[in-house]
Amino acid sequence: MPGRGRCPDCGSTELVEDSHYSQSQLVCSDCGCVVTEGVLTTTFSDEGNLREVTYSRSTGENEQISRSQQRGLRRVRDLCRVLQLPPTFEDTAVAYYQQAYRHSGIRAARLQKKEVLVGCCVLITCRQHNWPLTMGAICTLLYADLDVFSSIYMQIVKLLGLDVPSLCLAELVKTYCSSFKLFQASPSVPAKYVEDKEKMLSRTLQLVELANETWLVTGRHPLPVITAATFLAWQSLQPADRLSCSLARFCKLANVDLPYPASSRLQELLAVLLRMAEQLAWLRVLRLDKRSVVKHIGDLLQHRHSLVRLAFRDGTAEVETRGKEPPAWGQGQREGEVGNNSLGLPQGKRPASPALLLPPCMLKPPKPICPAPPVSTVTGDENISDSEIEQYLRTPQEVRDFQRAQAARQAATSVPNPP
Amino acid sequence: MASAPGPERDLRLLAGCLPLYPPPPPTVGLLSMEQQETYLELYLDQCAAQDDLTPPRSPLFNPVVPYGMYILNASNPDTAFNSNPEVKETSGDFSSVDLSFLPDEVTQENKDQPVISSRHETEENSESQSPQSRLPSPSEQDIGLGLNSSSLSNSHSQLHPGDTDSVQPSPEKPNSDSLSLAPITPMTPMTPVSECCGIVPQLQNIVSTVNLACKLDLKKIALHAKNAEYNPKRFAAVIMRIREPRTTALIFSSGKMVCTGAKSEEQSRLAARKYARVVQKLGFPARFLDFKIQNMVGSCDVRFPIRLEGLVLTHQQFSSYEPELFPGLIYRMVKPRIVLLIFVSGKVVLTGAKERSEIYEAFENIYPILKGFKKA
Repeated sequence: MPGRGRCPDCGSTELVEDSHYSQSQLVCSDCGCVVTEGVLTTTFSDEGNLREVTYSRSTGENEQISRSQQRGLRRVRDLCRVLQLPPTFEDTAVAYYQQAYRHSGIRAARLQKKEVLVGCCVLITCRQHNWPLTMGAICTLLYADLDVFSSIYMQIVKLLGLDVPSLCLAELVKTYCSSFKLFQASPSVPAKYVEDKEKMLSRTLQLVELANETWLVTGRHPLPVITAATFLAWQSLQPADRLSCSLARFCKLANVDLPYPASSRLQELLAVLLRMAEQLAWLRVLRLDKRSVVKHIGDLLQHRHSLVRLAFRDGTAEVETRGKEPPAWGQGQREGEVGNNSLGLPQGKRPASPALLLPPCMLKPPKPICPAPPVSTVTGDENISDSEIEQYLRTPQEVRDFQRAQAARQAATSVPNPP
Repeated sequence: MASAPGPERDLRLLAGCLPLYPPPPPTVGLLSMEQQETYLELYLDQCAAQDDLTPPRSPLFNPVVPYGMYILNASNPDTAFNSNPEVKETSGDFSSVDLSFLPDEVTQENKDQPVISSRHETEENSESQSPQSRLPSPSEQDIGLGLNSSSLSNSHSQLHPGDTDSVQPSPEKPNSDSLSLAPITPMTPMTPVSECCGIVPQLQNIVSTVNLACKLDLKKIALHAKNAEYNPKRFAAVIMRIREPRTTALIFSSGKMVCTGAKSEEQSRLAARKYARVVQKLGFPARFLDFKIQNMVGSCDVRFPIRLEGLVLTHQQFSSYEPELFPGLIYRMVKPRIVLLIFVSGKVVLTGAKERSEIYEAFENIYPILKGFKKA
């Protein structure tokens, strides 16, 4: 470099600053002679001038994967293996975890949050490949709270800007049904309860589709609906022997947890089937109820599309004029007189007038609406009377009483603790 | 003769943004044509720069213009543009002017309206009269007014500041009417015009904050107030409630207060004032500074069921529907920035608004989308 001096050996001015094993040297580029050397170590006085830099302010974070990130990545791989996911899922999940880790909010998060984040990454990967993994399953595996999981899941989806498709219902049905231990006889499962897997699967799928069409699935957790559908499918395949078995006993037999809402989903599904049965002439005369309709589920499912069309009328247009109609469409009730009937048959012989096809929450009798608050003419700048404020203040006597009561309470609570 | 502090201060501010205007000559002709042209150009340049945004904004240099000055100010571009017919169109319609920046006294004072209209009438009648008594001297005048009057070389009377109002040809009359009307009616309608349906979201909750600007002794407040609870181990604020309007307030020792539970902005303000009054009565020098509405929550019912799974498919970038976690669909609207919770029963909750109009606008935007999912 010009201006730096000359090489003592060859006299050239081409001196280059270079470092040799972190020791800076001034070297002649012609002959290679080392002109000057920097120091390899610092002296004590030099070190006195050095300042500590916290790890978070150094570049160490960017240069290597931190130990907690390594731990997290290992957890992701372990979780994928436990769930027996295809190998490609592992790489995607690991990539998501690394992507999340680049955000400072995640890096500084608590260990519990990082643990849950592992589950979130695996869940997102599964969802994107239509692999039916429920959040409940992951929370059980991670021993995490669903509330904590939900908050971190929403946060990470927003943070990474991901498009996460919904849970695939058909796949979930297949996986969940296969987990029922009813396909082989065992000491706990008598022979009459054993069922063919394919038949049960197909019937369950049809029942779940029916539930989806009749507004029983939207807005609800999918699993209890599938439990109820599986139970009905199982019962209907051999009603004579299985009608006596209850839902709870069924789940116990099958070694599956019974989700709490499953029984109300079951009732709703039965009500839908009953309505459909009303449209079949040979079933109408039988005057079916919740138990006897199970025997005919096979027939009902076979014609489910046309039956749903006949049994229900579009509830969307009806609701808007609902205020005038009496709430006649109770579950399982027949109100032949009210409403229109397209078939025109004489009363008594005609099928029930179509019920409203609405989600169950809209079919319940409307809550007495508290009257809309009268339009207040408050301007915000009115005068505030003294008396109104005084009513919120304690009189001096009350203050003294209150203080005395507080002191007494303090004394009472402190007495049990001996000095 | 002495004008109110308002106009003077505004004039000084105006002076800051406009080129200094020499006092107008007593007779016409003293200003040469070039000088008049220069002033016209200067004024029009400024107008042209603002024309890109909203042409009618051009005369409104100073947001704190009192009503009277505003009218004079606003009338000027018309008179200026009279001499430039091609520029006239840009100043035409003032009804689209956003006047929300005007202080409350200006927008609410109806009594100014008859004053102005009577002023216009007198001007119409007496063209050549120069009511100089009204507008004594150019230095106290709106400088823009003088600027425009100098740019017009037509009549002698125009150079008298007071007469600028008189030069209001009939085409401007409809504008002046709209001018006199415009400041009275707010631009964003308070009642939503729902052309799609008769459904109006009802406000359910308003959260507001206010600064009482004094340090408070929370123990003392909890002791002397009947409607207060204070548990420092649980939360570091006093929770106070009043019955009318039915609200709850969190009062912190720094003097900041959060008021929740009101059903309208005015009720929230009244409630906050009542809490401040209670604190005052307890012996603290409480004031009422920086009252601000932080959040508004509204709800309504579209009265038909909604296929949430379909909605999340078509509006994936805005919606989040996780039935395993929450039964409703969370729709994050970008404009206005509102979060909507949409349920299968057709009930919609709108939150995150700072203004009532944002809630109405968000509902107007979502209703056609929901109607698209009406048929199962």
